[in-house]
Amino acid sequence: MTRRPLFRLALAALLPAVALLSGCQPPHPSGQLVVASKSSLASVDPVDVTTHAGLQLLSAIGDPLYSASADGQLKPHLATALPQISPDGLRARIPLRRDVLFHDGSRFDAAAMVFSLERFRSLAKLGYLLDDRISGVRASGPYELELQLKRPYSALPALLSSISLTPLSPKAYRQHQSKPLADRFVGTGPYRLVSSSPQKQTLLPFTRYWGPAPRNSGLHLVTLSNSTALFGALVSGEVDVLTSSGMDSDQQRALAQRAQQGRLVEGIGPAGEIGYLTLLSDRPPLNQPLLRQAVALSLNRELISQRVSYGIRAPLRSLVPPPLAGSEPPAWPAYNPTRARQLYKQAGYCQGKVFTLPLTFRSNVPADKLFALTWKAQLQRDLSDCVQLEITGVESTTAYRQLADGAFPMILFDWSADYPDPDIYLAPMLACSKAKGEQCLEGNAAAAGSFWSAPGLQAELEASERLSGPERLPLLRQLQQRTATAAAYIPVWQVAPRAWAQPQLRQPVFDGSGRLVLQALSIR
Amino acid sequence: MSRRRHLLRYLTSRLALVPVMLWLIASLVFLLLRVAPGDPIDALLGLRAPPEARALLRQQLGLDQPLLVQYGRYLADLLHGQLGNSLTNNEPVTAVIGHSLPASLELGVVALLIAAVLGLAVGFSGIARPEGKTDLAGRLYGIGTYALPPFWAAMVVQLVFAVWLGWLPVGGRFPATVVPPAGSGFYLLDSLLAGNAQQFWGALRHLVLPASTLGLLLSGVFANALRLNLRRALDSDYVEAARSRGLSERRVVLRHALPNALLPVLTITGITVASLIGGALLIEVTYSWPGVAFRLQEAIGQRDYPVVQGIVVVVAALVVAVSVLVDLLVALLDPRVSF
Repeated sequence: MTRRPLFRLALAALLPAVALLSGCQPPHPSGQLVVASKSSLASVDPVDVTTHAGLQLLSAIGDPLYSASADGQLKPHLATALPQISPDGLRARIPLRRDVLFHDGSRFDAAAMVFSLERFRSLAKLGYLLDDRISGVRASGPYELELQLKRPYSALPALLSSISLTPLSPKAYRQHQSKPLADRFVGTGPYRLVSSSPQKQTLLPFTRYWGPAPRNSGLHLVTLSNSTALFGALVSGEVDVLTSSGMDSDQQRALAQRAQQGRLVEGIGPAGEIGYLTLLSDRPPLNQPLLRQAVALSLNRELISQRVSYGIRAPLRSLVPPPLAGSEPPAWPAYNPTRARQLYKQAGYCQGKVFTLPLTFRSNVPADKLFALTWKAQLQRDLSDCVQLEITGVESTTAYRQLADGAFPMILFDWSADYPDPDIYLAPMLACSKAKGEQCLEGNAAAAGSFWSAPGLQAELEASERLSGPERLPLLRQLQQRTATAAAYIPVWQVAPRAWAQPQLRQPVFDGSGRLVLQALSIR
Repeated sequence: MSRRRHLLRYLTSRLALVPVMLWLIASLVFLLLRVAPGDPIDALLGLRAPPEARALLRQQLGLDQPLLVQYGRYLADLLHGQLGNSLTNNEPVTAVIGHSLPASLELGVVALLIAAVLGLAVGFSGIARPEGKTDLAGRLYGIGTYALPPFWAAMVVQLVFAVWLGWLPVGGRFPATVVPPAGSGFYLLDSLLAGNAQQFWGALRHLVLPASTLGLLLSGVFANALRLNLRRALDSDYVEAARSRGLSERRVVLRHALPNALLPVLTITGITVASLIGGALLIEVTYSWPGVAFRLQEAIGQRDYPVVQGIVVVVAALVVAVSVLVDLLVALLDPRVSF
């Protein structure tokens, strides 16, 4: 046989094989949807879950006591009313729904809620969220929960809207009271978890759910490990819905453009993630407030937002992102090179002496690196006679470890809140249990790497935790104003979650915690 | 001493070294993980957990113990065949490896088959006319595929065949909407045994792109190795002698030159198999293939010490086993090899 017929034979065998393989794409079972994201899931037990992907899954298979709507308003979910707080503010009673069943058919009641909260407190990696606020939990009636608070806390409903605190069936978790159950979940949510692996979870509607039934007949949550693959999977129609978490800005922009052209449907949620700079305020070179203020004025957020993320990471001049209370008006000053130059001059720079500003960024976070490079170029263009940026990359776990040692004069971080309340943004940066003048010796401000405090700041923070509604607003603004003046933190941008769906689907919607409402996904 | 006894002694000496090698590797990975900056607490709790919460978790995970105590426990567990539990979800490391190793092996075996068929075909094709067009094309193919950056090649293949043409899936190991076959973890085999065509095609469709990319990248090595060794064999005296006896060129090549030229290829295959047991990291990451390299990469990011240690030790043991086996096979097949 000559070479040519051999080649033809090979081609003749290959082409039908390719055609067969490409034609054998299994159809989606009727009404079921495939939702893709970047993060894989090591465990579905709320005590283990710390990632966005894990919390997203829990929001579909679990129920919180309270839920936040997209505009930040809290409403009872498994609870039937807002907590009744005792006059001293240290005891909260929460009435619970009576018509709720767990996925295993057992009944939800106050005892089940106590079981779940106690289990979370003793096992959860995020157990400190609760331990910091709550000293005891008990069932004060078959359908009434009583919480003992360590101090008055007005954001209690927001805290209890955290999906990590979703109730679990005591019957199903009896053997796992003191150890996690990684691959099964028995809760009360609109979906039950049918199968789970790190790369894929299958959810089917829970037919005995107490609330509205999901608008689709099931979900397959899949993980693809990189942004290009996620983009390709949506564009090729392999997946129905894609969430933005962990996706590169280039691909997000391309998907947004496709949505504008009507080839996809885009949904945008409330921003829950902020990016900010922490400045080490208790030692040189940034222990001079004047210099820190100059740095704050040197940051061109609009330019950086465009260059780094095509505007997807929106400029932010507040530590509390909108629409949360206290986010408006922005407390931090806008970019002002003229005023910045004046301050650098007052600090002894600009006249032949250039201030070297050290910036550390997390080398494993692409947006952080782009931020550092862009800001460096922007300073070189606008203020090169006064300041130059010296950038260093470190891996994120190293940065977290060395932060409390005061290792970084200035570092870029991001922060996603566990529940929608200003306190969860402010307290982790400002709370200080032991301070000396403007230096925080012990507490969150030291752990956060700024070591900044101010006389009376802790008292104001605690007062803001006690107040709610319009009474709280002036205090929140004052707290932010003081922090902005000291410039120990500089907010940079906010990140709103996005999701894109195939054009035949309804627009994806988000709840107030920034999570995609999976049960609302459906074909038009 | 007879050749058989020599072989036995050689095998015994190689096997005696295995525990020492594994201990060295296990100790090294233990030490390197602790020396590396960052620790599991930072990876698990992130930025702002209070110091008390960090201390509590450190205690729960046993990371507050002195390093020597941790090392002693680790070695003791290892001797009892226990690899510990994952720090992220408490899953036994043996289960983590049990889930991910079959995926890597399935990908590796199919990629190796593709590489061998493709590589040997290309290597063999130019032999009729040395320095001819086909031979030159084969050489360029060998160099080109060897020089291609794996992540780039994988992304191009992914973009063309999955995104633009939409013929095959972008990534993953199995269709999202189909239940994977139960059994050994080798999806092709399990679905065949179950007689489930839908599962088989689903697994095959997901395997085609990563295996073809990996096979393509590896095939250049096979092509070049065969071409060089076959050329050398065809120039040797025993081939000349065969020709002078009037044997046909086809018989000379297939019966005399090729078997000898394939022996070095066998060694290369062994080395390739050994490297593939640990997974092809860039291919697995690009195609979201849930193999052992993909899992190892995740575990390193999470500073999940037991998972990293377990995977490295198990993979090292398998690599050593394959390497001993290949050496033995070559020694058995090639009478010229002395030991």
